[in-house]
Amino acid sequence: MSFPILSLLIFFPILGGIALLGIGKENVKGIKIMAFIVSIFELLFSLPLWFSFDKTTYQMQFVERHSWISLFNIEYYLGIDGISILFVLLSALITILCVLVSWNSIEKKVKEFFVSLLLLEGAMIGVFCALDFFLFYIFWEAMLIPMFLLIGVWGGPNRIYAATKFFLYTLVGSLLMLVGIITLYIQGGNTFDILALAGQHYPVKLQLMLFWAFFAAFAVKVPMWPVHTWLPDAHTEAPAAGSVVLAGILIKMGAYGFLRFSMPILPEATSAMMMPMLVLSLIGIVYGGIICLAQTDLKRLIAYSSVSHMGFVTLGIFALNTQSVEGGILQMINHGVVTGALFLGIGMVYERTHTRKISDYGGLATNMPVFASFFLLFTLASVGLPGTNGFIGELLILLGSFLTKPWVALIAASGLIIGAWYMLWLYQRIFFNPVNSRWNGIKELDAREIATFLPMVILIFWIGLYPNSMLEYMHVSVAHLLEQVTGNTAGIPSGVEVAVDTAVKATSHLPQVSH
Amino acid sequence: MPIIIPTLDFAALIPILAIITTGLVVLLLDIYVEDKAVLGYVSLIGLLATAIACFGLLTQTVAPTFQNMLVSDGYSLVLDLIFVVTATLSIMIALSYLPARDMQSGEYYALLLFATSGMMLMGAATDLIVVFLGLEIMSIALYVLAAFNRRQLGSGEAGLKYFVLGAFASAFFLYGVALTYGATGSTNLQTIAMWFSANPAYAHNPIAMVGLALLLIGFAFKIAAVPFQWWTPDVYHGAPTSVTAFMSVGAKAAGFAALVRLLLVSFGAIPDWRWVISWLAVLTMTGGNIVALAQKDVKRMLAYSSIAHAGYILVGVVPGTPDGVKGILFYLMSYAFMNIGAFAVIALLEQRDQIGSSIESYMGLSSRKPLLALMMLFFMFSLTGIPPFIGFWGKWYVFWAAVKGGASWLAIVGMINSVISAFYYLSVVVQMYMRSPTEPSELEFAPLSLPVTLTIALAGAVTLLLGLWPTPLIKLTALGIFG
Amino acid sequence: MIIQAIFIVMTLCTLGGAVGVVSSRNLFHSALYLILSFFGVAGYYVLLSAGFLAVIQLMVYIGAIAILILFAIMFSRESAMNSAKESQANRQRWLGLPVAMGLFISLIAVIIPVNWPIQQTAPTTDMVRDLGVAFLTSYLIPFEVVSVLLSVALIGAVMLAREENPPVKETK
Repeated sequence: MSFPILSLLIFFPILGGIALLGIGKENVKGIKIMAFIVSIFELLFSLPLWFSFDKTTYQMQFVERHSWISLFNIEYYLGIDGISILFVLLSALITILCVLVSWNSIEKKVKEFFVSLLLLEGAMIGVFCALDFFLFYIFWEAMLIPMFLLIGVWGGPNRIYAATKFFLYTLVGSLLMLVGIITLYIQGGNTFDILALAGQHYPVKLQLMLFWAFFAAFAVKVPMWPVHTWLPDAHTEAPAAGSVVLAGILIKMGAYGFLRFSMPILPEATSAMMMPMLVLSLIGIVYGGIICLAQTDLKRLIAYSSVSHMGFVTLGIFALNTQSVEGGILQMINHGVVTGALFLGIGMVYERTHTRKISDYGGLATNMPVFASFFLLFTLASVGLPGTNGFIGELLILLGSFLTKPWVALIAASGLIIGAWYMLWLYQRIFFNPVNSRWNGIKELDAREIATFLPMVILIFWIGLYPNSMLEYMHVSVAHLLEQVTGNTAGIPSGVEVAVDTAVKATSHLPQVSH
Repeated sequence: MPIIIPTLDFAALIPILAIITTGLVVLLLDIYVEDKAVLGYVSLIGLLATAIACFGLLTQTVAPTFQNMLVSDGYSLVLDLIFVVTATLSIMIALSYLPARDMQSGEYYALLLFATSGMMLMGAATDLIVVFLGLEIMSIALYVLAAFNRRQLGSGEAGLKYFVLGAFASAFFLYGVALTYGATGSTNLQTIAMWFSANPAYAHNPIAMVGLALLLIGFAFKIAAVPFQWWTPDVYHGAPTSVTAFMSVGAKAAGFAALVRLLLVSFGAIPDWRWVISWLAVLTMTGGNIVALAQKDVKRMLAYSSIAHAGYILVGVVPGTPDGVKGILFYLMSYAFMNIGAFAVIALLEQRDQIGSSIESYMGLSSRKPLLALMMLFFMFSLTGIPPFIGFWGKWYVFWAAVKGGASWLAIVGMINSVISAFYYLSVVVQMYMRSPTEPSELEFAPLSLPVTLTIALAGAVTLLLGLWPTPLIKLTALGIFG
Repeated sequence: MIIQAIFIVMTLCTLGGAVGVVSSRNLFHSALYLILSFFGVAGYYVLLSAGFLAVIQLMVYIGAIAILILFAIMFSRESAMNSAKESQANRQRWLGLPVAMGLFISLIAVIIPVNWPIQQTAPTTDMVRDLGVAFLTSYLIPFEVVSVLLSVALIGAVMLAREENPPVKETK
């Protein structure tokens, strides 16, 4: 019996959060430091996963398996593979940044805030580690409560509406999934073991039904068009840390759900539903992009850009070939990093200006040059400039989907153009337009804020210049996944290498983005 | 003519006798004891003894006794435990609630214990006559308890309304018993079943069907199923909160106890009632939830939501399988903790001379009383059915039984209703956590007194801990089989 | 033939009395109608050759309960003796009527066509003894439980009637 590292990762932040309750309400500084220490240790604890992960097998690793509720055959069954490992690490990292960005911006109920954040972290990591469908569901639902509070208690003026909307949308989806889970349990031999459920071939009609039941839960989380409408509200109203978690981790869970459940368990339905899913993704990409052009609210714009970017992710996943799926997973990480960073930046600037209206800004570059450089980098990464991580992900997705359906790739590529348009325009309006005299005395970033940005900057270049360090974790797992979906075992790795090589070569001769 | 003495196994009566004895002791002590709170503690000791007796009996098999009119099987004993929990928690609330309103009296505890004994009789009865007597004992005690606050018209109104409509329901029930007897020649549940299996041609005997329909109406009144729920909001709202907590769980559990045994034992061979119960469930869930949405008073909202919960439990009745029965028992036990916990919070926040507590009095509760707000948050999310709270497992269990029993559509309706219910349960959380508090001077709170605080803490802890580790309760309810 | 005539008379007493109880505006008259209704029920018992029950019905219900009610009314405030101003019905009666009629018709439709099995022999020769035996054997539990029921009712009645609490006050 090896060391239960995944349990540690799940329960360390939860216990840390509970321990936080013991600190006096007045000791605000102590609370913050304690939360920071917990989140740092969480990341340290998660590093062994990165180093001792066996990249040559698709088998689950670091497995823990105990019976939990024997009547329903529910198990406490944890494990990670090449698909989930990156998200576990990303969750640990993003939480630290959330703690940092909330350092000064959270003024009321500081203790409760950090407790919620840490509980949320535990539940999120639980979602990515669970190999028992029921355990997954429990974490999935339990996550709602701290997130609901994060948005509703510490959010903007319209926070109650946004929090309630978020909660109800997600709940509807999850409950439909629960019906699906029960059906699956009864049809699939009285087990919730995801791996065991995947091996079976259910009748196609049943698969289709289950597919849409799961779709309800996952598509809301992603969010795919047309169930995306909660996201702009939630993003806009959430505090900076809430937006970062939302963009960085939470909405990835929907896509992760497709990868972990819909595809391996319901392969025939996945193949059959490929077209509708691609079309929905395309609508998301284009629609999200066009809506962005009309936004006047900073956060809302980034929120809609998430809809567009997540459209790319689902497009990659449902194009069902190695490049596209790997690109999709990588793009999830990228989006988490980049959009997370953008929300961090917006949080920092909002702390100073207390306005989210784009037209209130202008000429910030003169007052905050350091901030402007960071933000430029994130903007460029978001539009997929070669050399940054965004480029690799989008390239892989487009390549992959081109192999599947060329016209899909063409339409998706138009999304990139719209993306460049609204992001650069946004940058221009905030940083370059005539200086708004209101912001003359505005403070430049301090050391804590720069420290918050640094991990993101490193990740952007790391993935952008050496994507294989991430991709190599997922090759085998993705190959196995596609094998499950298509039943095709031959000729998988070659395409990846080509794609990655192309990507790397394409970036190598480009100038570095300076900041 | 010699008199044949029937087999008497008093072991089967132990829990009921223990409760009745405690009630009588309380009545006697009432004469001598000045501090009436002592009587409450005496009741608690009696309930504890009853619980121990139930656990002792659980491991034994007791054959049906008293001429097959009473049984002490796993089903009745698990139900006894549910009633004991319900009574214990409500007495603990009452220990704080009554003295704060100058209502402390010995009769209160005695009546509550007698009502509990009536519930236990309903759970243990295998004869419709005994079911009826248990029903009446429980109801009469509850009519009086509902009207217990003599200083408020609302309480008197609650008692009267409950009495008139309850008597009406009893009449329906009795008529149903008479017709069933006319059709099958017996009031014994087992004998009725035997008659049906011996005369399959009479399975759709209109007399038996109408008899069953009238019995169902009688039960539907007691469990507050739509469209027989009209009395519920006024009664639950007007009655003293400690009583509302007791009857919203206890009376419902007792109604289900007898209903389930009747349907599954006597009418198990005739599946027609499944459709009736299915539609009753749909109406009850949806009706209760939709009206609850519009409520501005938390006590009244919980009254409507308790209608909806009766609907969820009815979903567990439909499949008619042992799984369904266990699910119902699980649900009832979990409901006892979370619902009484929520009512305990209401009792604590209720103004001294006012009925109910408007949703505004919860504004900013998390700043003023963080732990209390946290507990209420537990109860609200648990009642919605969100993991990791016990309420989730209750819903899961009955819906699982329904899907397994081929009634997936009911499970889906139930899930949709859970979403509707989330809306109003969330609104309480929103008030507590997301609105800033009103001026403290505007609202006076009854001082936190120990018993009700303990109730809330206990219920909150159980709601969370059994939610994380439901196995003990699953194991317990798995014993709930018919003897 | 004559039995049927008696049955009809008794039914008229029972139902007519019952209607009188609820429709009369005078509480005292209602109590008198109640006696009439009880009397009709006693008649049924006679027709069913349950003479003992008929006597009990007369003694307990009319001799004790109804008389107690009359006493209570006469001892209570004067207004109870006079006719009430308000009608006994409320505006929901037109809603209640079709529902009640529907229930009545459906019950009749079910009950009338049934060929009820009728026992040919006389039910019992020694009713008092048989009742006693039944109470102590087959119906032991109900017999005992009724005592609990009665004590609960008694406690409840005392509770409600006691005028110890301060008088009722209108809230808000």
